[in-house]
Amino acid sequence: MLQKKICMLGGFSVGKTTLVKRYVESVFSETYLTTVGVKIDKKVVNLPDRTVNLILWDVAGEDDVATIRMSYLRGMAGYVVVADGTRPATLDVALSLRERVEAEHGHIPFTLLVNKHDLLEQWAISDAELRSLTDEGWSVRTSSARTGEGVEDAFTDLANRTTR
Amino acid sequence: MAISANALEQLLQGSSSASSLDRKALGRLLAELARSVDTTLAGQASEVPRFDPRLEQLRTLLLGREIESLARLSHQIDDPEELAGAVSRVLPAAIAQASTRDGTLGEVLAPAVERATRTSIRSDPQTLVNILYPLILPAIRKSIGEGIDATFQSLNESLKHSLSWRGLRWRWEAWRSGVSFATVVLRHTLVFQVEHAFLIHRHTGLLIAHVAADDAVSQDPQIISSMLVAIQDFVRDSFTAGDQQGLDALRLGELTLWSEAGAFATLVAVIRGNPPESLHDTLRETLTRIHTERGQALQTFSGDSAAFPDVEAQLRESVLLRQEARPVQRSRYPSMVLSLAVIVLVLFAGWLFHWWRDERRWDDYVGQLRAEPGIVITDVGKHHGKWEIGGLRDPLAADPRQMLRSTALDPARVVEHWQPYQGFNPDLVLKRLVGSLQPPTGLSFSVAGDRIVARGSASYAWLQRAATYIRALPDGAPIIDLSHVRDLNQGALGQLRASIQSMEIRFAHNESLPAPSEEAKLDQLASQLRDLDALSASLHVVTRVTVTGHSDATGKGTSNLSLSLARAEAVRALLKKRGVDPDLLSIRGAGPLEPLEDEATDAARSANRRVSLTVAFD
Repeated sequence: MLQKKICMLGGFSVGKTTLVKRYVESVFSETYLTTVGVKIDKKVVNLPDRTVNLILWDVAGEDDVATIRMSYLRGMAGYVVVADGTRPATLDVALSLRERVEAEHGHIPFTLLVNKHDLLEQWAISDAELRSLTDEGWSVRTSSARTGEGVEDAFTDLANRTTR
Repeated sequence: MAISANALEQLLQGSSSASSLDRKALGRLLAELARSVDTTLAGQASEVPRFDPRLEQLRTLLLGREIESLARLSHQIDDPEELAGAVSRVLPAAIAQASTRDGTLGEVLAPAVERATRTSIRSDPQTLVNILYPLILPAIRKSIGEGIDATFQSLNESLKHSLSWRGLRWRWEAWRSGVSFATVVLRHTLVFQVEHAFLIHRHTGLLIAHVAADDAVSQDPQIISSMLVAIQDFVRDSFTAGDQQGLDALRLGELTLWSEAGAFATLVAVIRGNPPESLHDTLRETLTRIHTERGQALQTFSGDSAAFPDVEAQLRESVLLRQEARPVQRSRYPSMVLSLAVIVLVLFAGWLFHWWRDERRWDDYVGQLRAEPGIVITDVGKHHGKWEIGGLRDPLAADPRQMLRSTALDPARVVEHWQPYQGFNPDLVLKRLVGSLQPPTGLSFSVAGDRIVARGSASYAWLQRAATYIRALPDGAPIIDLSHVRDLNQGALGQLRASIQSMEIRFAHNESLPAPSEEAKLDQLASQLRDLDALSASLHVVTRVTVTGHSDATGKGTSNLSLSLARAEAVRALLKKRGVDPDLLSIRGAGPLEPLEDEATDAARSANRRVSLTVAFD
């Protein structure tokens, strides 16, 4: 049995919790987010050679980076930073979150998930911008919590990289 | 020489390509050279002369650099300071390599380290104290805390059970088996089961191993273990506790969650029921053993629990305990307990009956007193084990002390205080009337409701007295009815009385015996007196007849008096002779003092010489 601790980070209302809610195994209610500041779920990812249980720590502390309990990030094998493709400001939050994590925990595999890709007419982040991040070696993916687009792939990819 | 040239070439080529010389080849070359130079040496194939300036020259030529470095090395090895410097440069790396290979280094070093530590402590214990202080203090604190917890737990249990029926039974068991009461209480009350045990990696919060009891249910243990770590972090952050401190226990209804933290892993037990403090020790021992046996794997854990193949079995064996409630043992002394209980019960019942009987007797006594005329009870009570009663009592009423003696109550336990008063109860009024008026025997009284009715006969005089007495009674007193009482002066008795009193027996002058003409009169008188006596007896009337003798005024006074007495005596004797009871008759002499007529004439004087009779009824 292989487990990996993955933290879910991201700005306010980027659909982080919805992602977790729709595509993973949930046990605890969302009130944990407001009370304890973290909600833990499990995502089972089947890789060709093995199965990985991703233990997802959905960490509260939305726009303000300072409000995240950094102790919750301890020992994680990877993380997902979620941004909202219709609100460019959430991308800035995601970038600053990543910087902060990098500074504190060093280089850990991560994925930038630009969510709400189903709302194409409201999409406000240019492909060029995302491409420049990809060029820096980032794993950048678009996703939609509503249609499920890109979600499985993102988790599979992250699971792959954390077990490599 | 061709061979030697080839060999030299080969040697030179070899030495230029590799840093180390082929010593065998060099030896063969040198021997060949020697043989070619001096043929006398041809027979000594392998021997090299000890010192030969030419060879030395060749050696210097060929091996100058190696000889220098050999000299430097041997100097380093021979000089202790140099050697120490050289070893110190490679020692850390060497130890690091050795410890990763296997555990031999630890085993080899252990005795030396122990000796060194001992020496250090002997020379200056303070150093070691300073080193250990931050480690030992929390451990001591925790140990003392748990000790106090255990004491409180046993104290609580003892208090809770000391007064109940079950507590008494356990006290009996403790006394019988010779162990402390607290131990017995714990043995009976600490029923628990460890339902889950989680071994959680501290750094990542990932689950290393999980075991559950057969009937235990829970959510996904992987998620739960992470959540437990998150909650630990949350509490630690919220209350800014140190890294080594955390949640030791959580309680949720019947479930208790105990957490034991080690260096790399935390052992969390979910317990249903009432675990003893000693379970902490079990958890700690298990965790320590896992750390000792798999410290390396725990340190480098990255989410793959395959590195801990038999930890689950270990947890199951040592932690998944269950303590069932012990079946109730049948007491070996049921008959003894039973008989003791019966004796106590019988004694109690006896006491109860005695008490009840006395209370009943007392109630009866009080009831009797209440019914008794002339007694008014104003207070009844019990004080210091004694009955108390008091009120008003007519002096003519029954004596309470007398009544008490007939009740079988202990008079010493009864305190009485009575105030005198006069009651209007008909019985009492009658009693008082009888005492004051002394009614004649021919009279009887009966009480009818609020009336006292008198029946029978009484003399006029008595009736007069009674009427006065009744008039003097206060208002509210019972009515005394005398209307049914016959006046003795009327009726047959009255007629007889009148007839007897009208008769006179005449005497001649200075004679003490009646004249012969009076015989018939005496007969008639006697007959009437006999009738009177009989009638009085039948009417229960006491009748007294006084026979009075008289004389005329002639002659001396004293002789007249004795003459009159003699005349009364004579008449009584004559009446006795005629069958009249002499006890009925009393006699007296009146002399000339009660004349019937003034003695102016002889006829008058003759009339005064007589005996008269008076009849009185009581």
